[in-house]
Amino acid sequence: MKHNSFFRRYLGIPYIIYLVLFVVMPLFVLIYYAFTGRDGSFTVKNFIGFFTQSNTLGTLFYSVVLAFTTTVVCLLVAYPVAYILATSSLKKKSVILMAFVMPMWINFTLRITALKEILTLIEHNLAFHPFINSVIGMTYDFLPFMIMPIYNVIMGIDKSLTEAAGDLGASTLQSFTKVVLPLSVPGIISGVTMVFLPSMTNYVVLDMLYNSTYIMGSLIGSYFSAYDWHNGSMISIVLLVIILLMTALTGKKDGKGDGKKKEAYV
Amino acid sequence: MSEYIIELKDIVKSYDGETNVVENINLQIKKGEFVTFLGPSGCGKTTTLRMIAGFETPSCGQILLDGKDISALPPNKRPINTVFQRYALFPHLNVEDNIAFGLKLNKLPKDEIKKKVSHVLEVVDLEGFEKRKISTLSGGQQQRIAIARAIVNEPEVLLLDEPLGALDLKMRKEMQLELKNMHEQLGITFIYVTHDQEEALTMSDKIVVIADGVIQQVGTPEDIYNEPSNAFVADFIGESNIYNGKMTGNKKVTFLGHEFDCLDDYTLGKKVDVVVRPEDIIITTPDEGQIKGVVESVIFKGMHYEIIVDHEESEIVIQTTKFYPKGQKIGMNIGPDEIHVMIPEVASNVFEGVITKNNTVEFADGEYECDVTMLYPGSHLDDKGYLITQENEKIDLTDVEVKVEVEIRDVTMSDDEDEGGTCGNIIDLIYIGDHYRYTVRTKNEEDFVVDDKDLWNENDYVSLVIPKEKIKLTLKEGGE
Repeated sequence: MKHNSFFRRYLGIPYIIYLVLFVVMPLFVLIYYAFTGRDGSFTVKNFIGFFTQSNTLGTLFYSVVLAFTTTVVCLLVAYPVAYILATSSLKKKSVILMAFVMPMWINFTLRITALKEILTLIEHNLAFHPFINSVIGMTYDFLPFMIMPIYNVIMGIDKSLTEAAGDLGASTLQSFTKVVLPLSVPGIISGVTMVFLPSMTNYVVLDMLYNSTYIMGSLIGSYFSAYDWHNGSMISIVLLVIILLMTALTGKKDGKGDGKKKEAYV
Repeated sequence: MSEYIIELKDIVKSYDGETNVVENINLQIKKGEFVTFLGPSGCGKTTTLRMIAGFETPSCGQILLDGKDISALPPNKRPINTVFQRYALFPHLNVEDNIAFGLKLNKLPKDEIKKKVSHVLEVVDLEGFEKRKISTLSGGQQQRIAIARAIVNEPEVLLLDEPLGALDLKMRKEMQLELKNMHEQLGITFIYVTHDQEEALTMSDKIVVIADGVIQQVGTPEDIYNEPSNAFVADFIGESNIYNGKMTGNKKVTFLGHEFDCLDDYTLGKKVDVVVRPEDIIITTPDEGQIKGVVESVIFKGMHYEIIVDHEESEIVIQTTKFYPKGQKIGMNIGPDEIHVMIPEVASNVFEGVITKNNTVEFADGEYECDVTMLYPGSHLDDKGYLITQENEKIDLTDVEVKVEVEIRDVTMSDDEDEGGTCGNIIDLIYIGDHYRYTVRTKNEEDFVVDDKDLWNENDYVSLVIPKEKIKLTLKEGGE
C-alpha cells in the first residue's frame, strides 16, 4: 500500500513539470510584461492605457457584441434541435445528433474555406458584411458546443416530470416553459460558456472571412508583431480576468439550479 | 350522470400492433371507491392506469368518465390527478410551488392558493414545509408532497401508481393506513396500482387482479382471498396449497388420495383444481385425520409456525400456532367450506396447425412428427407419402389445416433446444401439490401448459417435446 502511494506520487511528476513549464511560468512572464515598460521598469501605464485608449475599448466592445450575437444565434438554433432530438422517440437519434457534431471532425481550415466560397457566391464581396459573415462563421463552428450540453441535460430530465405537469393541467407549451426550460438552464449555461468565451477571442475565423475590424485576438496579434509585448500582454491579462469573472458568475448560477444536476460537457 | 365514475369498455393496448399489453379490459368503478389493480410486474396494470390518466391512448375501446367518453382527451383536460411511482416532483420548485403548480395554472387568486396549500400540507402532516427545497426532503416526505400536489386540485379520481414502492417496510405500513384515512376524509375515488398483495388486501374496497393483460378476478379483498376464481389468483394472493382433483360424487371431490366433502357442485368425473389455504388445515392425531402425513420441516414465522407435511407424493403447507417436531406423524382435516374447487382454464393444449409435405404438422412456431392417418379412420400412407383412405382414395395432405390437441401431461420440457419441435420461455409457474404447472410461451405468443415434477425457473428457455403418438389431429371444420 505504501509502495503504491509512493509510486503514484512519482506518476504525478511529469504533470507538475508540464504545469510549471506551460501554465505557471508563462503566466508570470505575461504578468511581468504587462506591468513593465520598454525599459524594464515597473509601470501601470499599460493598464491605464487599456481603459483610456479608444482603440482597445472599441475593440473590446466590438468583440463582446460579436460574441454575444454569435452566442444568441447559436442558442436559438441549438435549443430547438437539442429539444426535438432529446424528446423524440426516434430510434436513430444518436445518428442525427452525430450529423450535427460531425463537421467538427473535418479540418477547420477546409470548413471555413468552403463557407467562404459559399458566402462569396451569395454576397460577391465579403468585405460588405464583415459582422454578419463573422457571426455565420462562428455559429457554424461552435454550434455543436451549444447542442451537446443542452441535449444531454434535456435527455436527463425525467419524462414523468412533463407527464406530471400535463397531469396537473399544463398544456404542452406550459409544461415546456414551466418545467423543461427551467430544468435545462444548466445545459444552456454550459453551452453559452462554451460558445461565448471562444467567440470573444476568436481570430482565425474572422481573419479568413476578411473581417478587417479589429477584435481582441487580432489586436493582441498586432501588438506582438510590432514587438510591443507589454501592451499585448496587458490586453491578454485583462481578457483573462474578464473571462475568469464570467466563468465564476455563470458557475455560481449553475450551482443554484439544482444541487444534484451536473451539466454534461461534450 | 352515470352510476360509475370510471368505466373501461373493451380496452386493448398494443405498442407494436402485434402483442397486446392489455387485452379487452372491461371494468366499472363506482364513485368514491378505493380500487386496486393488483398483478405481477409487466401484467398491464400500470398501462391501464396510464390510459385512465391520459398518458397512453388505448388502441381499441373506450374510457368513460361519468358516462362521457374521455379516451381522446389529453391528460391536462381530465379531472384526474396522478401520484407517480417516483413522485415526479419538480426539482426546481420548492414545496409550495410544487403543490401550487396546478392551482396557478387554473389562475386561482393568490391568497386562496396559499390557503389551499397550507391546508393540504396539514392533511399530509407536513405543516410549515412550504419553503423547503425538494432535495432536502426524505423519501417519505417527498411521497406526501406528491400526494398533496395531486389532491390539492380536488380531482374526481386520484390515480396512484405504486406510490409506496420506494419506501421501507415500516414507512409503507404507516402510509397505507394514512392513505386509507385520506381516502375516507376526501371522498375521492382512488385507483391504486400495486404488485403487493398484502397492500391490496389492507387498503382496497375492490381488488382487480390482472395477469398478462387480462382481468382474472374482480371482488372485495375477502372475495379474492376466500374465493379465488382460478389457480393464478389463489397462488398470487396469499399462500395456498393447490392440487389436481376430480369430482367423484355430489359435492364430493377427491384429491390427495381422499374423498372430501365440498360446497361446489360440478359434473361427476370433472377434473378440477383444488385450493386450500395453509391456515385452514386442522392438525389432529393420525387416527382422526382424513389424511395422514409426516412433518418434513418447521419454520417459525413469528405469528405462527409454517410446517410442511409429506403426504405420499405431495407436499402440504400448514400454518399453525402449535409446534410439531420434524418427523412426527400427524392427521389432517379440511372442512367443506375451506375447500375451493375451480375449473382449470386449460384442460389441454389446443392449437391450429398445418400439415407439411413431409406429413409432419406445423403449429405454435414449430414442427412435429405426427400420425396423419388419424385424420381419416382406417387410412394408411403409401410409399410416396400420399394418404390412402379406407375407400382407396388418394389424398395429398400438404397444407391441410388441422386442429392439434396435446394433453398437458404429454408435453415435457427439455433444455436441449433441438430436442423438441418448438421452443419458448417459461412465463408462469404454480406449485400444485406434487408437481409444478408451467406456462411456456413461444415467440409468437402461443402458450403451452406443461406439468413437470422438476423445478424450472421463470424465463427459462425450453424446448417442448411431444411424442408422435400423443399429438391428436382432427380436420378443421369446413376445411377438407
